[in-house]
Amino acid sequence: MFPVICSSLLIGLPAATQIYSLQYIQMEKKKETITESAGRQQKKKIERQEEKLKNNNRDLSMVRMKSMFAIGFCFTALMGMFNSIFDGRVVAKLPFTPLSYIQGLSHRNLLGDDTTDCSFIFLYILCTMSIRQNIQKILGLAPSRAATKQAGGFLGPPPPSGKFS
Amino acid sequence: MSGGRRKEEPPQPQLANGALKVSVWSKVLRSDAAWEDKDEFLDVIYWFRQIIAVVLGVIWGVLPLRGFLGIAGFCLINAGVLYLYFSNYLQIDEEEYGGTWELTKEGFMTSFALFMVCIADSYTLGHLDHFLHCHPL
Repeated sequence: MFPVICSSLLIGLPAATQIYSLQYIQMEKKKETITESAGRQQKKKIERQEEKLKNNNRDLSMVRMKSMFAIGFCFTALMGMFNSIFDGRVVAKLPFTPLSYIQGLSHRNLLGDDTTDCSFIFLYILCTMSIRQNIQKILGLAPSRAATKQAGGFLGPPPPSGKFS
Repeated sequence: MSGGRRKEEPPQPQLANGALKVSVWSKVLRSDAAWEDKDEFLDVIYWFRQIIAVVLGVIWGVLPLRGFLGIAGFCLINAGVLYLYFSNYLQIDEEEYGGTWELTKEGFMTSFALFMVCIADSYTLGHLDHFLHCHPL
């Protein structure tokens, strides 16, 4: 239920990301066809496209921020609810012993020394990472790859904006 | 390496942002299929990884395959099967998609999380008697 609710909170996102993705792809294609000897006009066109792209990127970030706030609020509320129900209870057994720095999460507030006991928080985080992502993709609400690349993805900084700027 | 024997196909409609239409799956097992839309192909790789994660998670949990051998086995099989699929079977030019690494990491973390969920659930369900004996409700 929680992933479905969160996915529906991203409903404002697809239109914005579609526009952004199309612009990004068009710009990349134009850059590929441009040569060293291309005139000033072509370069100015590219710069204007990049400017449009930056504006759309800004709008996209605003839409995403609202969705992220709503999702964060839901996440916190549901976490509190599950905490009251499952805190201190073993919800699953793991067929392996997690690494020591993960045991703080997987064995949180559990009695005993059996580190294969799994607390709800560990399973909850794994479900958020897996099931929510997949439901977003199935419903078509996941941000496009172009938008994710421009935002820098999960690990890296944003890529440079273009060779003509 | 790429596309010499590929047929021209009419563009296939695709749902927005990662969902795939049924018609895309008809191309998946055809080694001579043309993949004009890069995102479409990356989505196919993504969903293949999720399917492998669910299948291996359930099997590993039921067997059960304990310890990090199971996790290492999943990583190798996940990466290896998809590599063989796009490199040997489809003979895709990896450089068109940003290299082998980009194709390998497409959907990998999500599939790993899904694998962990499936293996924990199937292992718990498979050993429910013992589990309830040790942790009565």
